[in-house]
Formats: sequence, C-alpha cells, structure tokens
Amino acid sequence: MEKHRIWPYLRSLFGGVLLILMFAGPCFSGVPTDHVKETTDRILVIVSDPALKGPENKNKRDQLVRQAVDERFNWEAMTQRSLSRHWRKRTEAEKKEFVALFGKLLERTYMDKVGNYSGEKVIYVGETIDGRYGTVTAKILTHSQTEVEVRYRLKETNGEWRAYDISIEGVSLVNNYRKQFNSIILRSSYDELVRKLRKKVAEKD
Amino acid sequence: MGCVVEGKQFMGFCKRLWFVLVFGLICWGIQGHRDIILAAPFASGESAASLQLSMAGHELVQTVRLDEDVAKASAENPSEKPEDSEAWPEDELSEESFIPDPLEPMNRAFFAFNDAAYFWFFKPVGEGYSAVMPEVLRVSIRNFFTNLSMPIRLVSSLLQGKIESVGMILVRFVVNSSAGFLGFQDVAKQALDYPVQDEDLGQVFAFYGIGPGFYLNLPFLGAGSLRDTVGWVGGLYLNPLDYIVEDWWANIGARAFDMTNKTSLRIGEYEALKDASLDPYVAMRDAYFQYRLNQIGK
Repeated sequence: MEKHRIWPYLRSLFGGVLLILMFAGPCFSGVPTDHVKETTDRILVIVSDPALKGPENKNKRDQLVRQAVDERFNWEAMTQRSLSRHWRKRTEAEKKEFVALFGKLLERTYMDKVGNYSGEKVIYVGETIDGRYGTVTAKILTHSQTEVEVRYRLKETNGEWRAYDISIEGVSLVNNYRKQFNSIILRSSYDELVRKLRKKVAEKD
Repeated sequence: MGCVVEGKQFMGFCKRLWFVLVFGLICWGIQGHRDIILAAPFASGESAASLQLSMAGHELVQTVRLDEDVAKASAENPSEKPEDSEAWPEDELSEESFIPDPLEPMNRAFFAFNDAAYFWFFKPVGEGYSAVMPEVLRVSIRNFFTNLSMPIRLVSSLLQGKIESVGMILVRFVVNSSAGFLGFQDVAKQALDYPVQDEDLGQVFAFYGIGPGFYLNLPFLGAGSLRDTVGWVGGLYLNPLDYIVEDWWANIGARAFDMTNKTSLRIGEYEALKDASLDPYVAMRDAYFQYRLNQIGK
C-alpha cells in the first residue's frame, strides 16, 4: 500500500521534469533565435513543398528561397567584413558592384546547400546577445548521423536581426573569404578579384 | 622469407618512411625559404634592405605594410574616421590568424595532385561503393572503425588532463563495444548523449603551447600542418588495427575498406568548397586552420 502513496509524488515529479524539459529544451528561444528559426522554417517549408518539387518548378522555388534568404542576410556587412582593409579604398560604385556580385555567390552557395535538403533535423542549442550583436548556434543532424554545428552571427537593426556571418564547425565564411580576397588582391589586383568573382557567378548561373 | 612480410613490420616500415619523408620535406622547405622563416619582418641592420627586397612579394609582409599605411593615414587626420571602424564584437580583422605557408609552391602542387586523385579515383570508387552499400550499413561500419580507434582519443585526452572526456571515452567504449555490437551501433550517443570526443596528438601538442608550425598539404593526406602531421604519425602507433590484424594484405585491405567507407560518406564536401571559393587552395588552407583552432579550443 506504500506504493499508492508514493506514486502521485513520483508522477508530479516526473511531470515537472517533463515540463521543464519542454520549456528549457526544444522551446529555447530569444529574439535572434526566433528570427533565424523563422527564416529556416520558411525555407524548409518551401523546399519540402510537394507542389514546388521537380525541375520544372525550380525557378519558382529558387525565387522564393532567395527572397527568404535575402531578408535574413546582410550582404553588405558580409562584403565589408570580407574585404576588410580593402573595403575603404573602394569607390561607392565599386562597393555596390562588389556587394551585388558577392551576395549572389553567397546566395547560390547557400541555396545549393538548401537544395540538397532531405529531412535533416535542425536544433537550436544556444544564443548570446551583446548589445546589438548576437550569435545563434544550431546543430544539424545529417543522415550519416554526424552533427554539424552552425553558428550565425547577427546584428540588430530596427528590431531585425540579420546575419553577417555563418560558421560551420568553427570555420567562419567571412574569415575564409577574407583570406581569399586578401591573397588575390595582394598577388594581382582588385580588378582581377572582381573578374574572378564575376566569372564564378556566371559559371553557376 | 623474403616475400612474407608481417603486417606489423610493414606498417613499422611505412611509419619510418613517413618520418624520413616529413623530416626531409621540412629541411628542404626551410632551406629554400630561410630568409622568410628566420627573418623578422622589421629586421634592422645592414642586410635589412636586401632582405626586405627579397621578401617584398610575401603576402604576410604586404599585409602588415598595408595596415601600417592605414594606421598612419588615420593618425594624420583623426577627424576622418574610416567607416568600418565600428567595433565588431570579435576582432577578426587582425591577421594573426594567418597560418605560415613557406612551402606554398610544393603544397599547391600536391593540392592539384590530390584534386585529380579525388576526382579520378577516390570519388568514383566511393560512388560505386555507396551504390551497393546502403547508408545505414556504411554508418555502422564507420562507427565500428571509430570505436576501434579509441586509444588515440583516450591517450590524447589523458595527456591534456581532460578528465571528463576520458570518462566519456571509456564509457563510450564499454557501452558501444557491448550493447552496440562491437561498436557498429553508437548507443552511447543515442542513449547517453555522449558524443565522440575528437582528440588527437596534434591537439595535445597545441595544448602544451606548440604552434602549428606551417601549412603542409601532403599527397593523399590533404590539408595539415607540421604539428598535426607529426601528431598523425604518432597516432599510427596507437591504432589497434595494426596489433589485431597483423597479416599484411589483411591489414592493407582493412585500411582501404575503412578509407573507402569514410570517403563514400563525405562525397560532396570537397566539391562544395571548391564550388564556392575563388581560390580553392587558400580556402582549404584557411578552413583547415580555422577548423583546427576550433577543435583545439574545445
């Protein structure tokens, strides 16, 4: 009969733990995470929509994804940080042209990744906020059961958190491009870099 | 017994050969680029002028000069604030994050070699293999080999004094070897959420303050650094495969199998990097450097 008296306590304890898990675990969120999640979910809905499947719908699908990605990523901040020391030497027109080209390349890269989506799980595991800057860390569980850590760096403007860098397993995209840009500019010239970039963007279209 | 070579002997020979090769390469590299490695960028003295001239083409030196110019310019007219002077939370604009690459011509040649080897050999083999093996099976096989190579991770964690990792590695090994059917199933990850502890001897060296040395891209091994290559060679001695499978052909077969299996699970990664980059060599070098920094920091 002892059992009967203990059981309700156990049950409430267990329920309490479950409740905590529910709120602390999967529902973990702050504003930056919400914003990243919103965009990711939106893209996942688009790429898993059966009405948009197939090569004949590729253009429409791409356009929708591009729209979602453009809203979340701050291409100008990404370009500025990737060019770093070479940025301020450029004229306004050059800056504009470079942002457009580089944005296109990044967009394509991102969309190629998304295009291969086949039901991988995304979990949001952490968030930091430091004034107007923040990071959101997510884990992607791939089919081959490897966990890939993705970290977004975001900046807030007018209440919108927009990404200016993505790190995958600690490899920052902006850092990586910065090394490449710096190397190409120092070896040849800025014009050569733009020529290469233009060629790259064209060959992917 | 000339034709019958025992596995252990053969692998031992391979390791020695690798040591000699690596040592030779390093000597050759240092000899050819002594001026850049040994000279401080701002050395003063009689030979400084000629030295600076010979180093004028070096990327790092150029970058440092560029930064000096910018600093000078902003010091002259402090009212004119550069527009990107905004304080970003992490100071990634510093170029201390460069990995030295004095052997770049050699590395680039091996990079091209590896590129060709991948597209002409490893990728087709991996694709053929994955056509006959379902992914679930390949993941299980990878898990088995990962479980087998536990001693490398254990020793590396011990040497870094990471007690928690040591515990996890031991528990993982016991659980996965028993409940996970000799390691084919990663039960410890699924049930206990104990992930694989990625530790190797290169990280041990880094823990004791040894820098990466310089970038090394070797045939078949791919991106690496001097420190991590040395660590990799040391790790060969800790691989139980050599002690379990002593027969030469069986040993080679097991290794080839493991490699093919791993490759088949990673097809597409290299293509993605190559596709997104303007200079794949520089992209790979930096990605490796950043990846290692992240691993070491963990």
